[in-house]
Parts: sequence; structure tokens; C-alpha cells
Amino acid sequence: MDEQTSILKNQLYAACEDACRDNPERFFSQEDLMALDVVPPKDVKKLLQIIQILTRERLFAPVHFHSGLAWRLRPEAEAAKYKHLTSEDQVLVYEIIDAAGAEGAWQQDIKKRLNLQDNALRKALKELETKRFIQQFTTVENMSKKMWIKFGMQPSARATGGPWYTDQYLDEAFIDTLQAVVVRIIKDRGSYRSTGERGARSVSPVLPKKGIIRGGQSEAAMKSKKRAADAISKDDVSRPTAPAFKARGTVRLPLPAGYTGYPTAEEITAEIVSMHIAKGQPLKTEHVQELLDILIWENRIEEVKTGDRVGYRAVRVSKQHPDMVKLDSEDFWEPRINGLTTVPCGKCPVFELCEEGGPVWAGGCEYFDKWLL
Amino acid sequence: MLVLYGQLPSRIFADLLTRGRSTVAQLAQHTSLNQRQVRHGIAVLIQLNLIFHFTDQDSGITYYDANPHAAYNLVRTGKILDMVREKYGSDAYTLVNEVLIQGHTKISDLIAAFKKVRIAEPHTVNGVSQNGHHHSNGNGVSNGTSDIKVRDEDVDTEDQAYDSLSQLIAAGILEPLTLAMYQSPQDLRSTIEQDFLANHYPTGIRGAKQTAEFDKYVREKLREFHLENTKLKNDLEFELENGAGSKRRKLTNGDTANTLTNDRVKSILLENRDTVLRVNYDKCVVELRNLKLERYVEDLIGDTTAKVYATLLDVLSRKISRCQVDRLIEVEDENDDASTGPRVTAQEIFEHLNPSIDVSVGLGMLHEDGAIDIRHAEKIRRFPPQLKGSTLKETLQEGEEIVESDDEDYDPSGEAAANFGLYGQNGSDEIKMQADDSVPIGTKRLHQMRQHLLILAESKEGFLRHCGSRDFGEWTVDFEPLMQHLKFLELDTLIENRFGRRGLRLTRILREKGKIDDKTLPSLALMKKPDVHVKMAEMEMAGFLDVQEVPRDNNRAAARTIFFWFFDLERTLQRTLDNTYKSMVRCLQRLDVERRKKASVLSVAERKDVQGMEEEKLRGDIYNEYVQFLDLEKKLLGQIGKLDDIVAVFRDF
Ligand code: SF4
Repeated sequence: MDEQTSILKNQLYAACEDACRDNPERFFSQEDLMALDVVPPKDVKKLLQIIQILTRERLFAPVHFHSGLAWRLRPEAEAAKYKHLTSEDQVLVYEIIDAAGAEGAWQQDIKKRLNLQDNALRKALKELETKRFIQQFTTVENMSKKMWIKFGMQPSARATGGPWYTDQYLDEAFIDTLQAVVVRIIKDRGSYRSTGERGARSVSPVLPKKGIIRGGQSEAAMKSKKRAADAISKDDVSRPTAPAFKARGTVRLPLPAGYTGYPTAEEITAEIVSMHIAKGQPLKTEHVQELLDILIWENRIEEVKTGDRVGYRAVRVSKQHPDMVKLDSEDFWEPRINGLTTVPCGKCPVFELCEEGGPVWAGGCEYFDKWLL
Repeated sequence: MLVLYGQLPSRIFADLLTRGRSTVAQLAQHTSLNQRQVRHGIAVLIQLNLIFHFTDQDSGITYYDANPHAAYNLVRTGKILDMVREKYGSDAYTLVNEVLIQGHTKISDLIAAFKKVRIAEPHTVNGVSQNGHHHSNGNGVSNGTSDIKVRDEDVDTEDQAYDSLSQLIAAGILEPLTLAMYQSPQDLRSTIEQDFLANHYPTGIRGAKQTAEFDKYVREKLREFHLENTKLKNDLEFELENGAGSKRRKLTNGDTANTLTNDRVKSILLENRDTVLRVNYDKCVVELRNLKLERYVEDLIGDTTAKVYATLLDVLSRKISRCQVDRLIEVEDENDDASTGPRVTAQEIFEHLNPSIDVSVGLGMLHEDGAIDIRHAEKIRRFPPQLKGSTLKETLQEGEEIVESDDEDYDPSGEAAANFGLYGQNGSDEIKMQADDSVPIGTKRLHQMRQHLLILAESKEGFLRHCGSRDFGEWTVDFEPLMQHLKFLELDTLIENRFGRRGLRLTRILREKGKIDDKTLPSLALMKKPDVHVKMAEMEMAGFLDVQEVPRDNNRAAARTIFFWFFDLERTLQRTLDNTYKSMVRCLQRLDVERRKKASVLSVAERKDVQGMEEEKLRGDIYNEYVQFLDLEKKLLGQIGKLDDIVAVFRDF
């Protein structure tokens, strides 16, 4: 390697480092490298020579790209590791694991790609592991796969399953808690909490007016309220009937049409993040969206579109418990029922066998006996 | 149910159901009854409108055919009577009950029967509520006063009868019976067709033009048959609507002043005293649908909104004679449908709103000012949503975006109200400031009522469509997509009840995404793979899900097979309906068995000298047993009523 080449090599590497400061994972095609203006234009031969050297020194890692061959930069410290590899097998295996990055490499894949004997592969892996170059990990996608990753590297979210997984196990308790939190936020911001008696009986038909301070407990306000109530009962032929409110008194009421404040996925995410409930993995909007989808599938919430804004509100809000409850709890809401949920036949395990003269029938069936008691 | 009318008719009916149309001779042979008995049975069935008959003009042979729908309707008798009493009062109840017992009856006979009932029991019929539904429709005409006052004067009783009867006919609950009604719709149609061919095209029709002419003629003719019996209804309706006395009479609760209208109505009925009446189930089902929809809104939104909705439906359904479009008569959507369908204005609804409904409650107050997009809330949708496939969710909105000229199409009534400080709702316990004092109470009330309409129009289920801005807004209900939504809701209710929240979650994912393999599903549902498999297997066993195996190679090893789960919506809906029928039958079987067990007690209780005074006449222990049986019967009949609700939603509404 002449001196000029050596200088060019260092310049090219430095230029690449600069170019991928924003995105360390960036690939360089031959044209990209040429465009860095280090190697004299048109001197493709020189460029290829330099690339070859850099690759040999492990500073460039070749990547097979859909448009052809490209290279990824390898930091010098990383490149130096290759110097400690003592066998060809170790190098080949390490290259694959290195290239796999945070996704990791499956032992079976490595074997197939290198066409190595089991013994040889295992030996190489063992040696690399003792050198603390690589480590084994499990992916939630398939717990039985033997996966390898560079030592000290954090497996990708796909491998760990994101925030829903704790030590490779789906953390259902955590999911349920977050779901309950999401429902509470949606209820709080998309319905009105009315506390019982006074609200239940006839409240004056008076409405909040812009520009006037609301909630004034002054005597005047009280009086004017009263007067309005009198006025209406005089107007009416009969007394207003009190709607049958639940024993618990407090209920949630739906908000008027056109309400624009139903919380969006982003807003809900922000609120959860500010509550610091989510441990470990950061919670992103896409994760909250997954929870929202599930709540929609469970008929707990629904989407409300106002222009471009997609908000969420609670379904059957007046039947839901007005405060935060776990979704599985008995008094989350009054469950919906219909004829088939109340008749014993609706849940009967021998429904198909049941007929007059058959092994079971309505006339002598124990499910009915119990039900009629 | 039919057994109520005797063994004989029920055997004949069963035979007609299984074998299809038959002659008297055939029936006699199959049922091993003699022809005289068969004729007698048939007479009863015709009287009850349970069978059609048709005489072939050439051979003179008469064929009989079962009308299974009419038979099913017997299950609804209790509900219909409850509805009639609630809405039209106890006199109407007596009249309709009489018609139901008789199957059909002449007006003069009906009036006579009414008088007899009233004289026999001066106290208002204290009918046993047959199916445990107690529905309070605040808007019914309540004849409270006449219930209490015992009027034994003949004339008064008669006037009451005419009064109620005219209302029932005008509303369409009772209708004149015409000969065409004895024929099955197919027979009626083919008779018309043959007539037309014989008179106009003895050699048969050719070409598109003649076919079109033929179709048009048949349709017109069918429509004529339908209109034939609406004259009486229209006449009465006209008198009641325009008569000065009608409104006042309603308000003063049955203190019948012999107004001009009453006389006019009575004379119309007297002129038609030989007209035969029957119960118009189509119209009754419309009324039952209104009640059911009110209950849905009560459940999904709230009871004040439900009452407003009930008022709206009541006004709207005066223009609706049946739930489902009669495909034989109506031309398939000739795009005028959207603009000419029945609609009501907020003004009309408001006029019918029962003063006892407090519309100022039931909706929440806003957390902050300016949180309402009035134009969005008041958005006018001129066209009904498109019904596409199984998932209505997205199509509802997409369908509109095509035809809508966005923002500009909104009802300005809301903005006007906002200027008075009338927008938004309260219903809270907080103290609010007084709105502009100059706004009359009535206007406030109207706008408060509108809030409930708007929230209905905004609902996912599509309870209401805000379709115009005349008179504070025009409103209509797109029943077809709405009922589709409600079918899904009932299905979901069933699935959640049987398989829990997670079972519902899984089936909904499949419904939305179609076929899914057993690897993708757990990650979408955020559930553990084994849990998913257990749930899916459970639901598959119960027939709610299907699984398809796609082997990845030829030797079909389980490990190399992909399992695709899917949810066949149509089939599941059909299955649910079938299972509902079966469950109803089982309740009836059980009731029958229980009845036989208590046969001795019941036979005593049903003796003429005991009836009505069971408590005094029966021995203590027998009386207890009798009461126990009544409870049990009530429970079973109530259950049948609830199952019938499902049938109605899935099939009839
Ligand atoms: S009658 Fe009894 S055995 Fe038959 S389906 Fe109903 S519950 Fe099951």
C-alpha cells in the first residue's frame, strides 16, 4: 500500500464517519463513496482498491443490498475485535452475528449459511462466548430458538416484545392495569360525572353562558336557579318524573354532540407517560394504540371522528362504574343481557343433543330445575 | 301455543306445515280425521287467520296452506296487548283482546262484545301481564279517569268503544280484513299475473318492453289491493287529526265531551258496522320495534334521551306501516328513496313531547368552553349510510363522504341557540348561570330536546339521521343499517356472556380482519398463545368459529400446518336465530310439563265458580301451589318474551 493510497484510505473512512453521523446504520454504495469526493473522480480502480483494503481491515462491512453490494461502517474499536479472533470459523460466525445487530442471529441460520459441522459451529460459538464477544438470548417470538447477539447489546423490541413483556413473558397483569388506566382517562375526559341526588332530580334548565363565571355559589345564583325550576313546573301540566338512578348515586353522563375533547391516542399516551406507571421500556403511541384497539374490540370504547381528529369515548357510559375499576371486575358495568344469556339453554353444553325423547330434554332437564327454583 | 285452540286445529296445522299445501281430502288422509272434522278445524284456522286458502278457478278445488308467520305471532300476543294498553289505554286493550280471541270480527259484534265485557266486570280489566315487560312509555294516552269511574250507562260505554276503536283503526293496529288476505302472497300474485296475461297477452309476453309493462301492472295491482283497505283508516285519521276536539280530549284524560269529532267518527264506524276487522301484526311490530329501540337507547345512552327518542319514533312511525319493505310491491330503491322516506321535524317532535319528560337532564355539562364543534354536531346527512357486507364500522362514514359537500351542510338552528346561551346541556349538580331571561321557557326546552336528538344522531349505532334543517331540523331513522348494528350488538352480548371479554376480543378481531393464522392472533390480541388456543377451541366447539388447515407440504404433518381461524358472520347469525327458536320451544315444553304436573290444581282453579276468587275458594295448600305455578309460568313466559325480542331483532324489525 503506497502512501497515497494509505492517506486516501484514512480520508475516505473519515469522510464516511462524517456522512453517517446522523445515521450510524447508513449504507454506502459505490456511487455514494465516489460522491464523497475523496478519490479522484472517474478513478474507479483506485476506489475499489481502497474499499478492498478497508474491508480487509474490517472497517467496512459488506452488505448485500437490493441494488447491489454496499458497505456499512464499522467503528475502529469493533474492527479491532476481529484481530483477537483465532480461527477462520470464529471470524465467519462473528461476522454473521455482528451483521445481525440487535435482531440477533439464530444458531440454525448460522449453521445453514456457513455450511458448518455442528461440532465446529459449537466450538466457535463457545470460544466467542468465553472471549465475551457474543451472548445468548431468547426472543419472545420463539422461546425455544437458540439466538446469539453481540456481547452487551440490547435485543430489539421485536425480540423482547416491547413493553408488554417482562423477562420474555407476556405481562398480562401490566396490560390489564394499563387498559384500566386508559379507560379511566377516556371516561374522565369524555363524559360527565354527575353525583347523585340533586343532579338526578330536576335541575334547572339553565345553561352555562360564555363570559360568566361558572359555579358561583352566591345567593343570587341559587335564587335564580330556584326561580327557573318553579317556572318550569308551572309551565308543565304534571310534575317532572325523576329518572331512576342507580343506587350508587353517582353516574357518568354522555357529553353533548359535537364535543371535540375526546382524547386521542397521543393525548392518552402523554397522560400515561406523565403518570410514570410504565416501567422499563418506554411507552409509545403505537403501544397505546394497541390497547385502544383491544378496548374497541371488547366494546368498551368507540372512535369519534371530528374532522381529522380521532378521539375515543366510552361505550354505554351511564352503565359503567363512574370511577376507575378493573375491566374484569364485577362492577365494571352492568353487563348487557338478552334472552339467550338468561335462558338455561343459552349456555347449555348438551344443547345439540336435547330433544323430546332424547337423552336430555326440557321437561326433565336439571338446568331448568335449577333455573326455576 | 296452538293447542290453546284445541287439538284438532293444531294437528291440521302441523300437517300443513310439514307437507305444504293440501286439499281437505289429503288432510283427512294424513291426519286420519274424517273430512267433517277437517273442515271444522280448517274453519277455526281460517277464523284465526293462520292459514291461507286458494281455489283454483278451473278445477274448483280449494287448497290450504299454513301461514307460519301468523302462527309465530301468537307468541307476541302478550306483548302486543301490553303495548296497546300502554299506548292506547285499557278500552283499546279490551277491544284488541277481543279481536285476538276471535281472530277477526265485525265492528258491530266487537262493540257488542265490548259492552258485554264492561258490564260483566265493571272494574277495568286487570289483565295478567303476560310477559313481565313493564314498559312505561310516558307518551301514551292514559285514560286514567275512565278507569276509575264506573260508567254503567250504556251510551257512555258505547261511546268509549267507538272512541278507542277509531283510534286503533286510524293508527293501523286494527285493519279491515279483505278477501285478498286469505290468499298467500304468492297465490295472490299469480292470480293477478294470470289475469293480466289472459286479458292482454293471451299468447305470452315477449321482449323487455312487455315484461316491464307486465311487472308494472302486477305491482300496481298489488298496491291497489293494499290500498283497498286503507280507506276507513284514512277517513278516521282525517277526522281525528283535524277534529277540534281531539287534542283537548287527550289532554283532559278521557273526560269525553261529546264533541263534534266524536259524533263524526262514530257515524263513520256505524256506516261500516259490517266491516270485518283483524289485528294488523305488521303495524303492531312497528310499535314493538319502537319500544325495543327505546330500550336500546336507554341502555346505550341514557333514559332521558330514550324518552325523547320514543317520542320521535312515535311521530315518525305514523308514517310507517310495516318494518321491512315489501319487496313484492315496492320498486327496488329508485333513488328517490332517500329524499322521500318518512322524516319528522324537531318542531313536530316537540309538540308531542310529554310535558313530564325533563329534557334538561341526562347529558353532561362541558368541562371547558368552546369544546363543541357546532357545525359537526349539526352536520346534515342527506343520504342513508351504505350497507356493505359485515363491517358497517368504516363504511358508514365513507359512504357519506362521497355525497357530502362537507362543512357547508349543517343545520344552523344550533348556532342560533348558542347565541342565546342555549347550547350544551346540563344535568349536573353544579350551579349554573341563568341563560338570557328573554328566552322563553318553551324555546329553551326545544333546544334541550334537540341536544338529545343530536347525541342520537352522533351515535355509532346510527339511531338517528339529521337529514334536513327545516323547523329546527328534520330527522329520520335508517332502520336497516341500525338493525344490522343491533344484531351485532346482541351477538356480541351473547359471546361476551359465554366466553368472556377475551372471547369477544378474539371474535371481533377475526370479524374485522378476516382469516388469521394462529401465530398472528395472539400478538394482535395481546394474549398468551396457549390461552388463545384454549379460547379458540372452546368457541369452535360451540360453533362460533371455524378453523381451516393449510398444510405447508405434502405429508400434512401437524407441525407443518398453518391453522387459519375465521368467523362466519352470516352463519353465526343464522345459528343464533335457530338456537333462539329452539330455546323458545324448550321453554314451552317445560311449561307444558309443569302444567301437567299441576294438572289437578289447575283444573280446580279453572272451574267457573273458582275463577277470579282463587284465594277465597281454594284450600290453603292448593292455593299456595297454584300461586307457585303462576310464578313459574310468569318466569317461563317472560323468558319466551325475551327470546322473542331476539327473534324480532334478527328477523322482523
Ligand atoms: S332444555 Fe335443558 S338440556 Fe335442553 S338445551 Fe335447554 S338447558 Fe340444555
